[in-house]
Amino acid sequence: MKDHYEKIGTILALLLPLLFVFRGGYLQEVTGYVYLFLIQGYVAWFLFFKSGQPFFGYSVTMAVGAYGTIVLTEIFGWPILASMFISSVFAPVVGIILFLSTIRARGFYVSMASFLLAILFPKLINALQDITGGRSGLYFSGVTAFIGYKTLYILIIFLTAAVAAFFLWIMGTKTGKILTLISENDRLTQAVGINTLKYKIIAYSIAGFISGLGGAFYVNYTGFISSIDIEVFTTLYIFFIPLIGGSKVFYGPVLGALFVILMPELLVPVERYFRIFFGLIFIVVIVMLPEGLAPNIQKLFRKIHLKKT
Amino acid sequence: MLLNGIITGLIMGGILSLPVLGVAVIYGITGIPNFAIGVIGVLGGFVTWYFLSFNMGVAIVIGIAVCFIIGYIIQRILLTPISERGGDSTLFFIITVSVGFVFEGIIRAIFPRPNISLELPRIGTINLAGVTVEGFKIFALLFALGTLVVIRLLEEHTEIGKSWQATSQNLKLAKLIGINTNRVFSIASGIGCALACVGAIFWGSLYNLQVSTGWDLGFMGFIIAVVGGIGNIWGGIISALIMGMVMSFSGYLLGGEWQSVILYFIVILVLIIAPKGILGSERSL
Amino acid sequence: MIEPILKITGLTACYGKISAIKAINFYAHDNEIVGIVGPNGAGKTTLLESIAGSMRIKNGRIFFLGRHIEKWPVLKRRQLGLMLVPQEGNVFPMMSVKKNLEISVILSNRAERKGLIDYVYELFPILWERRKQIANTLSGGQQKMLAVGLGITSNARVMLIDEPSIGLAPKLVTRLFETLKKIKEDTKKTIVLSEQNIKILNIADRLFGLEAGKIRFDEKTKNLSRDIVKDLYLGSIS
Repeated sequence: MKDHYEKIGTILALLLPLLFVFRGGYLQEVTGYVYLFLIQGYVAWFLFFKSGQPFFGYSVTMAVGAYGTIVLTEIFGWPILASMFISSVFAPVVGIILFLSTIRARGFYVSMASFLLAILFPKLINALQDITGGRSGLYFSGVTAFIGYKTLYILIIFLTAAVAAFFLWIMGTKTGKILTLISENDRLTQAVGINTLKYKIIAYSIAGFISGLGGAFYVNYTGFISSIDIEVFTTLYIFFIPLIGGSKVFYGPVLGALFVILMPELLVPVERYFRIFFGLIFIVVIVMLPEGLAPNIQKLFRKIHLKKT
Repeated sequence: MLLNGIITGLIMGGILSLPVLGVAVIYGITGIPNFAIGVIGVLGGFVTWYFLSFNMGVAIVIGIAVCFIIGYIIQRILLTPISERGGDSTLFFIITVSVGFVFEGIIRAIFPRPNISLELPRIGTINLAGVTVEGFKIFALLFALGTLVVIRLLEEHTEIGKSWQATSQNLKLAKLIGINTNRVFSIASGIGCALACVGAIFWGSLYNLQVSTGWDLGFMGFIIAVVGGIGNIWGGIISALIMGMVMSFSGYLLGGEWQSVILYFIVILVLIIAPKGILGSERSL
Repeated sequence: MIEPILKITGLTACYGKISAIKAINFYAHDNEIVGIVGPNGAGKTTLLESIAGSMRIKNGRIFFLGRHIEKWPVLKRRQLGLMLVPQEGNVFPMMSVKKNLEISVILSNRAERKGLIDYVYELFPILWERRKQIANTLSGGQQKMLAVGLGITSNARVMLIDEPSIGLAPKLVTRLFETLKKIKEDTKKTIVLSEQNIKILNIADRLFGLEAGKIRFDEKTKNLSRDIVKDLYLGSIS
């Protein structure tokens, strides 16, 4: 039951920044940005940590959603919502093709293939700069032209909370339980007669769709995208969100997004020394706190609590 | 044009083969895929650049020595303890990328100039069947091939080289037989980083050196090593030369932007079709 | 009574939470062959690996050549004079026979090296014939010989061999055991071997019976009857 409070609490807490709408300005802008990455962080949490699929192409699925939206609207003149939806549907295709073609390989090869795709994709965007704008990027007004910036912000907050709630729900269903089994022991799951291929494709489809949708919202929110935004480091940062925050608990990615995305934003003045500090923290967390920050913060609270009583 | 392309490809492959060798040595001996060696090598390149006005030879030696020491220490205090606790490749991938972040930060913090070019003396030009090539580029290629030969000779004829082979073939027995495997690991990592540094120095004197070059060298070094059959030194160098050609010709035919697109595309295909690399490998990822 | 060179008291080691050996007392003197017999899963390999240091122990003391070595890493124990020939993976597979032997003399001083390698070739002439062959193309028996050869060239004071007879034809087992006896007589060193083969009675000076992680008996071989040893295996079957 206590577990339940934690989950409901996390989702309610995710909605809290709706209050920033009254203040607007920088705080609101940054929060929206962090939330857009939190969506990707939850995708990584679901696909890599909960379903055990060694996928590193989050920036690619996100970029397909983002560029797809722009290209369909601007070049083909589709209505904005339709192009957002269609490009999100198309995003998982990349992941699934990669998954199916590496199906005979195991573990690290699959990680590497998807990681190489994440390196390749921005280079492809550069090479196709006549359409995509390459490094100098594309400007895009998108839905903000119709509904305004604030409404989009509110939508993103709700979308993030909905994505979190959806992943929470799906982990409780039969599909989610089978995915957990697959992540614990793939072969055994197959041996007991479960069609693991089907469930893995389901996992890739869900993750790809949400990641693409997140990308489509991203480009609407920032109004701009270039190949630099989807560099390979983006995929690493996304992967670090649940890893640093704590992959075991549901609110881990929230902590991770605050840490991985918000901190660099706030520490821009000392940016020169920032990467050192960042890398060291990653190493320390991975080596000393393999469960991530969340369980340790929990312990800390419990200690403080015990001292008080 | 054909000849020109071949020569450019060979030289590019030759320079790339140094970080590739670095990756192959480290992976072949320690079993750890190290993605940070490119960044560490570029740090060495920057150190060389810093001392260059003092004396060229000394500067190069200092740069290489710094990289060797960094590689040695990282292996000693970070990577060996983790591999003893049983880390898998994915974990090492994340850890070494984080290590790369740290050294990228160090470069940014110490050397504010983001883009440098190493002014090494040119050795004049050589005329090869009608194509004029800078002597320095030929030197770079020969140096890379020479390094390979030296490593092979070391492996066959010295005690440390034999310990490498033993460690990579059967770690448990190597320990039981009395080989200081921790030291072997550390030296391998040091040599790998030193090779990446030589690669970065050549790169910096032919093109120019930035922080991002480190990641490019590291990732390309890794994937070319994968194509050759990771851990297989001969495979690594052959695939470096082939990939150099691929980059050279795709650059000529499609333009510079397409070079790395084609390269990575081929590598992904190789990973999918022949995961053990074109020449195969005793170790697999 | 002479102090044993290797003495173990109260040794406990675990695989995860299951203890594989419990409170074992064990000792070995100079110039003797000590056998550790027992059924599969009795803890023979665990015991040998704990002595060599490739397995962490939970409790107990290991006393070797006047020092407490239970906290030492493998390499330090090896330098003091302990060498384990493991049951599997006991040669360097991609090296020639000659190179295998050359690498195993790494801790001996240069003057002794050639003599040690020549001694192995003398004991196992087949290895001399095949000295250029790559180790993993040798037959099972030849690989076993090479593994024992690596133990000899390591020049350790105490050689621990894990089940050398496993997978060998009966004839080869007899020959290998005779060679081990000869090695002991030639070098005056200590050989500790774990075994399931009854022929161990012919060569061992003393036998430890191990069952379910505990010592069942510790006797000179001449005081033991074949039946007691056989009983240990049969007892475990029923």
